[in-house]
Amino acid sequence: MPSEPPGVPPPGAPRPPPTPPGAPPPPPGWPGAAGPAPRPDFAAPRALHPASIVLGIPFRQLIRGLIFPALIGASAGPGLRFVFVIVGVLLVMTLIGRVLAWQRFRFSFDGEVLRVDEGVLSRNHRALDVARIQQVEVDRSLAARVLGLATLRVETAGASGEPEVELRVIPEADADALRTAVRVSKAQLTGTATSGAQAGDLDADGEPAPHRAAAPDREVVSVGLTRIILGSVTGSRLLVLPAVLAASLQFVGDATELGGGTLDPETLVRRLVALGVVAIVALLIPASFVVASAAGVLRDHGWTMRRIDDDLHVSRGLLSTRQSVVPLARVQLIEVQRNWVRRALGFAVIRVHSAGGGGDDSRVTIPLVRSDEVDRLVRELLPGVGGVPALWSHPPNARRRAVFRWIRASVVPAAALLLVPGLSGQLRVLGAALPFVAAVLGLVEFSQLAHGRTDRVLASRSGALSVTTGLAPLVKVQGVTQRASWFQRRLGLATLTAHVAGPGGDLTVLDLGARRGTELRHGLVIAAADPVVPKELAEAPEAGMVVTPDP
Amino acid sequence: MITVWRFSTVTSMLLPTVVLTAVAVGFLGTIGWLVPAALVLLTVVLAAWYPGARYERWRWRLTDLAVELEHGVVVRQAEALPYFRIQQIDVNQGPIDRLLGLASLQVTSASASGSVTLPGIAAGEAPGIRRALLARASSAVQGHDTGVRDAV
Repeated sequence: MPSEPPGVPPPGAPRPPPTPPGAPPPPPGWPGAAGPAPRPDFAAPRALHPASIVLGIPFRQLIRGLIFPALIGASAGPGLRFVFVIVGVLLVMTLIGRVLAWQRFRFSFDGEVLRVDEGVLSRNHRALDVARIQQVEVDRSLAARVLGLATLRVETAGASGEPEVELRVIPEADADALRTAVRVSKAQLTGTATSGAQAGDLDADGEPAPHRAAAPDREVVSVGLTRIILGSVTGSRLLVLPAVLAASLQFVGDATELGGGTLDPETLVRRLVALGVVAIVALLIPASFVVASAAGVLRDHGWTMRRIDDDLHVSRGLLSTRQSVVPLARVQLIEVQRNWVRRALGFAVIRVHSAGGGGDDSRVTIPLVRSDEVDRLVRELLPGVGGVPALWSHPPNARRRAVFRWIRASVVPAAALLLVPGLSGQLRVLGAALPFVAAVLGLVEFSQLAHGRTDRVLASRSGALSVTTGLAPLVKVQGVTQRASWFQRRLGLATLTAHVAGPGGDLTVLDLGARRGTELRHGLVIAAADPVVPKELAEAPEAGMVVTPDP
Repeated sequence: MITVWRFSTVTSMLLPTVVLTAVAVGFLGTIGWLVPAALVLLTVVLAAWYPGARYERWRWRLTDLAVELEHGVVVRQAEALPYFRIQQIDVNQGPIDRLLGLASLQVTSASASGSVTLPGIAAGEAPGIRRALLARASSAVQGHDTGVRDAV
């Protein structure tokens, strides 16, 4: 005899009882066995947790709101008491406002529509259809964590960066349950079975089998602590520091050259200042490494990406955790980025651009992965794509343009270093050497310039010091543009841009042969005009290079 | 259409000419008047030659699968926007366009940079072309036989 599943509400309930996650499903005959049960947890309008009276205020706005009056009060003169009175009044008013807002806030979810009623003076009723919901995220700030609360954010595919609905704050368990409920409803809407094992799932003994999800739920990648630190330390911003140090050493050279034997106060001061500057900078570098590592760890600690059904769930953060959901079908573009340090060490950073969702979440960045893991991750992120395709280099004429671009960029700084009066000999040498360094970098860029195409994806690699390989699935290409400037036309080159949706920018193939560009353009238009949805693609094997590499 | 471009060339050169004139006369005195003279000459040449050349190069057509454009004199561009990806079509008219009875169609896709503009269409024909494009777009979406109709 099956035992009664835990958590069944009293028989007077108007709807089938919810099945708590992890509990065995009710066997046939019991209420709720009729099929996937909608979750009525949230059908009745609920209020936010009372803590939202305080936590609901964005911290920055609070400071901003207080600073102005505080400053005005302080400058007004008649004693500090006045300031305190003003600030006190403002605080009380804010508190009253927040209490009223909390009292007026109600939300509910009946399985199809998420409703929110809010507003003190102007009532706002929002009804969000599940079909419109793109992402549901659960964030936990430090304060909320301590109290066992969380913020639920719901975003739609609209272009604005603001979340459509933000429930700040509700109990953690409720937030997770609501997110699951929305996800289940969405999946039911699109007709795919999520938790397929419901009623009638009995194992050999006739006992109810444990609740088993038929759809995938597995970890895709998780980034350990050392890699996060390494990733922060090798980030491009930090590489500026050695240059700054070199420049500051230059000033030391200047200061100690001047004054020869005599030691007048001015020279002494200058020397001390120069030494001080160097000391500060010398301390600055390790300090910056530490700060960058700390920032990286705070933001990305425990970085994990899981694939659940057809979504990628990313969670990260040390004190305040953040969870993002990116539907696989919304991934528009992937960039694999390696700067010269990471290339030398054999690592890469992967950026995933998606459409829908706003701000940070339209771009998910995997902090640091090994170069030999990239292909596997590409397979995970772009269904149907086998990995980074073979890349063909560009015609030799492109070398001229790459070198020219770099030299052109170096002309102004070199001229400044050479012509501005009063600079030391070493700086002048640097100025003279810059164009040569630029030319070398131009050659490096040409050697990295490449592109490739299969029948699933377009790839383009570019960059000199920081090399980025962009991968755009053909089904996501919105349009194609081919440009050729007068110089490019003379050299028989063109630049091709594949446009994708979302704020992440497009995929550009720079300086490829004009004829190849035209072929590629026609091929992309055909692929973009009748795309196959990624899920279907995942079943068929990928075809290799489609066009021959003739430039 | 050429007239529209001529007009816009002149108007867009106007402000820099005035500013540079002021700067040059201020700094160089009477010699400075060469600057506006040169700029006016430049404007005349550009307005006379460039719009005509641009017009010669401007081509657009509706193929089986996409709207295709080719344009540009110094920088030649070829753009393509498949019907399946069309999200929205707007009919725009600038002030000079209205005087001359012209309009331009702005065809928008999910990618902001991938949208195309078809200029210089007779104002009377514009709604018809818009309807034709929308019809092709919706038939492309319906003819798309795999499950989810998601152009994004």
